[in-house]
Amino acid sequence: MTDFVVGYLPLVNLVILNCGLALSQYAVLRAGVFSLATAGLASIGAYTAGILILRAGVPAPVAVLGGALTAMIVAFILSLPLARLRGVFQAIATVAMVQIILSVALYADDITGGANGLNGIPRLVGTPALVLFIGTCIYGLWCLGRGRVGAAFDTIRQDETVAVSLGISVGRYQALAFALSGVIAGATGALMACHNHSVVPEEFGFDMLTAVLAYVVLGGRQSVAGPIVGAVILSLLPEIARPLADNRMILLGTLIMLAIIYLPHGIVDSIVIARRRAASAPAAHASVPEAADGRA
Amino acid sequence: MIAQQILNGLVVGSVYALFALGFTLIFGVHHILNMAHGAVFMWGAFFGLFAVTRLDLPFPLGFVIAIVLAGLLSVALDWVAFRPLRKRGAPEFSAIISSIGASLVLMNIAQRVSDTRVLRYPFGTLPVGIYTLFGLRMTLIQALMVVSAFVIVSALFVYLFYTRFGRQIRAVAVNERTATLLGVNPDFVYFQTFFISGALAGAAGVLIGIAFNSVHFLMGDPYMLRAFVVIVLGGLGSIMGALIAGLLLGLVQTLTIAYVSSGLSDAIIFSILFVALLLRPTGFFGSLRKERRVARE
Amino acid sequence: MAALSLAGVSRRFGGVQAVKDLSMTVGPGRITGLIGPNGAGKTTVVNLITGLLKLTAGSIRLDDRDIHQLPPHQVARLGVARTFQNVRLLKEASVLDNIVAGCRQEEAVPLYAQALGLPAMRHARAASIVRAHALMADLGMCQYAAHLASELSYGYQRRVEIMRALALDPTVLLLDEPVAGMNDTEAEELGRIFRKLAARGIAILLIEHNMRFVMALCDEIYVVATGELIDHGAPDKVRANPRVIEAYLGGEAC
Repeated sequence: MTDFVVGYLPLVNLVILNCGLALSQYAVLRAGVFSLATAGLASIGAYTAGILILRAGVPAPVAVLGGALTAMIVAFILSLPLARLRGVFQAIATVAMVQIILSVALYADDITGGANGLNGIPRLVGTPALVLFIGTCIYGLWCLGRGRVGAAFDTIRQDETVAVSLGISVGRYQALAFALSGVIAGATGALMACHNHSVVPEEFGFDMLTAVLAYVVLGGRQSVAGPIVGAVILSLLPEIARPLADNRMILLGTLIMLAIIYLPHGIVDSIVIARRRAASAPAAHASVPEAADGRA
Repeated sequence: MIAQQILNGLVVGSVYALFALGFTLIFGVHHILNMAHGAVFMWGAFFGLFAVTRLDLPFPLGFVIAIVLAGLLSVALDWVAFRPLRKRGAPEFSAIISSIGASLVLMNIAQRVSDTRVLRYPFGTLPVGIYTLFGLRMTLIQALMVVSAFVIVSALFVYLFYTRFGRQIRAVAVNERTATLLGVNPDFVYFQTFFISGALAGAAGVLIGIAFNSVHFLMGDPYMLRAFVVIVLGGLGSIMGALIAGLLLGLVQTLTIAYVSSGLSDAIIFSILFVALLLRPTGFFGSLRKERRVARE
Repeated sequence: MAALSLAGVSRRFGGVQAVKDLSMTVGPGRITGLIGPNGAGKTTVVNLITGLLKLTAGSIRLDDRDIHQLPPHQVARLGVARTFQNVRLLKEASVLDNIVAGCRQEEAVPLYAQALGLPAMRHARAASIVRAHALMADLGMCQYAAHLASELSYGYQRRVEIMRALALDPTVLLLDEPVAGMNDTEAEELGRIFRKLAARGIAILLIEHNMRFVMALCDEIYVVATGELIDHGAPDKVRANPRVIEAYLGGEAC
């Protein structure tokens, strides 16, 4: 029995790490910030942690904290100039930022190991640490999500003018979204460094960017469960559909298109909305109570 | 010699401009950021190559066929990835996501078809020719790139500004709803713009494919990124802007690689993009669409 | 309680003078009407007050404080709430969620406490929900708390928007065509609610086209046409003013 479980641990770890990335993407998308910077922020976390471990020999918690904080600071700084941009332009700006980081990582090879990346990082974290990490992230985002922060994010995302009329400071909340996205991506990247033995620039490029976006598109960007569901499904897909393994990208691409066309809110949010709609079914078309003369 | 580098830069830039033009046309007219544009470019290169290697056609004919096929591929892309969203009135975010999905599908199919290998044109597809102009060297292929780009762009210009169809396209760019009310058939306009966009991308693809004698499924990615820079600097939806910014980008890139550092050329280019987005996200030129909500008032 | 006062307010859009030298006051506990033909600049005035648009001249004061330089979210925080001409609710959210979006009890709780789910945050959340329910009770909509906002009738959607605005605990309430598209009975119901709110001391500015509604409800009325004030006073006085009638019926022949 334990052999069976142990055999699947690498997959579990992978799923957890993907969930972390998904939560980072979720944090910004929920607030209506079209940021695609998660991959870049994760790479910052990974490189920071890797360098701290290899050059300074710090223990894992310190490395992860260092990675998370560095990424958070970068994300926060990024949010300031991006505050004026919306939609497509935010996306392009964040992609540009990811590219800049990638280029710098490749260029500064005495620090980052260039194209080879950082290697020989001891495995410092195992499944228990990862579970603790993802559990904390989910709990924290869940708490924030059901409170004022979540309400503000949802309002900003759906109607900025309304948000502003309710006293919500769009700039402040979007900066918060960036910071959350940064800290989670940074921590996840750092954990990847501590778990995968290496930090390679290719890992944090366009493939990761697309996959992370897909997790949230498929799962949903309002409930915390959305990115988790999306990440779990898409991470397990290659395992489940082994015969399709070579055509993974075709499958992923098709799923993304089907999801955005037919289930635009994502799996989880669509279910939530459907349940709300069902709860509205009785008295749905009630108007003002009839006046005495029977006119409605 | 710097003049030579400038020439090289302009040649590269003319293809960037060609690629970016197709991209900006779709955005300018329909407000869709087509992330699958690079995949269409890549497939244009594949079509051109297969016309020569598998159908044994002469290169010029293959070039034309590739352009037409790429245009049709682009129309098919619109049908599958964007049309259903239009029917629903989905936000622009959805179109971008859908195009990312389509891009993955197109690239993966190309990967399977090419067996993840780099494909090449057979030796002698094009005669080797070197011309000297004012002491500067220009190869036949470079000349081909510049001339093709010039011809195609001129044709596009004439089409957009001197034909009835072009006028309809521009009307839709200003306001699709009003144009429809005035009798313009939006479906036909979408067909035209996507066909033209695909044809432009396909042309660029064939040119790049033969210029570097390398056709592979990932070749579109760097061009997409470059296209972002071009269209932001030139203004999303601006034909003139895409042209000028494309040429400028080619220049900047070539000169940076030659005189600064090849490793940092990417970082420099994207930093320029970043700064441009902050200072002037609407670009430095006019636009097919006059009103554009880019930032908070 | 606050009075909202506009002095010499002007706004240009390129070559168009949308609002010209407008002065008015909205007193606490009163319902002040703002009427005028289409395109007179009424919604522009609301956008200027809330800070969505900047003035090109003049000043807007809330009590004794200049607010026209403030960003719109600050204006809202100072107690100026509004509803929109076309009802703008979060379509896929429940009625309760829509109203809670306006509740600000949780903002006093520090971020870390919110993230950890500490008791302070839970208390503040409960307070928000209690407030939302109180508002629903006030407007007779308790049973719709869990309903999807988009499933409600138009009249009820309007009410949700009003409740959301009230969640801000405003001193000034700007109502942009709140009874548009409603029949007389529904409008009357809403009018009674507005009277109730005014009685609590809120300063209400009502923008409306429904003349009967405006004349019956407002304590005083401002009339604007092409961005300028053409009359001001009690409903009876305004109703009889030939200039007002002319503005509506288009006295100038084309």
